[in-house]
Amino acid sequence: MNTARYALAVVGTIIFFAIGLVLFFLFSADYGDGLEKTLERAGVTEGEPVFRAPLDYGDDYPSAFLAGLVGFSILFLLAYGLGRFVIAKRAP
Amino acid sequence: MHIPDGLMWPAILGIGWIISISMVWYAVRRTRSPLARERIPLMALLGAGIFVAQMLNFPVGGGTTGHLVGAALATIMLGFAPALLVLTTILLVQCLMFGDGGVTALGLNILNMAVIGCGVSRIIYGSSPDSMKRPSTIAAAWAAVFAGALACAIELGASYWASGGSYGIPMTIALPSMLGYHALIGAGEGILTVGVIAYLRQVLPEIFASPRRQLA
Repeated sequence: MNTARYALAVVGTIIFFAIGLVLFFLFSADYGDGLEKTLERAGVTEGEPVFRAPLDYGDDYPSAFLAGLVGFSILFLLAYGLGRFVIAKRAP
Repeated sequence: MHIPDGLMWPAILGIGWIISISMVWYAVRRTRSPLARERIPLMALLGAGIFVAQMLNFPVGGGTTGHLVGAALATIMLGFAPALLVLTTILLVQCLMFGDGGVTALGLNILNMAVIGCGVSRIIYGSSPDSMKRPSTIAAAWAAVFAGALACAIELGASYWASGGSYGIPMTIALPSMLGYHALIGAGEGILTVGVIAYLRQVLPEIFASPRRQLA
């Protein structure tokens, strides 16, 4: 995959995310996932986290979109960096 | 399916950490190949793409939502060991940067979604004949989610039993509830995974040129 195709893939992913986020806020934002619903049925409430993360996913479209872009960038750089330093350096 | 802090019995958390660290170490050793080195940009892009896809929860009925986990997608595209590293990196960022899943439960979250998800996907997709790749993609994606949910339910029930009710929830609630919800969520995972794979086969056929080599 050359650089142009990677750039196209990044743009495509961000467009997919921008459209998907609209559907998320229209249909899913108010509901919990399978584990959260299971805990709710059992009457268990989540306790305080041991570690307070610096970011969150956001409660509205602009902040969630920004969180997605930030997360996308962090993930790409971290995965690429770890790959270069862990996999590439160790490869025979 | 991200387990928060304070939910599981500490010994169960410890078991999760031991298995996860062992498997991640194994995966790092397995990816020491020229093929994996060539695929580092693809691994990074796939990890970033799965991260944003995981933010997009979809309704599955009964006021419940699910989202793509991506274990089967990553395993089919990269193979078991690189996929395990990609999923682990995603879970690490979700936990440490966005507070999604507890820090103490990170080992169990890696076990349930990355180790079990990628392992089950590898077994189902890798053992299917070439003529059955599309149905086996759906089966692998569904089973990866369902097996992860089964593991999570067992951990919840075992925590409750071992701690005398201080941690976890009763197995009689955990098993039917987790499996019921995730049977539906897994169907969504299957549909999304087969769609993404079909699209990528069209635009990036070279990635799928030698699937047997990738599945190590």
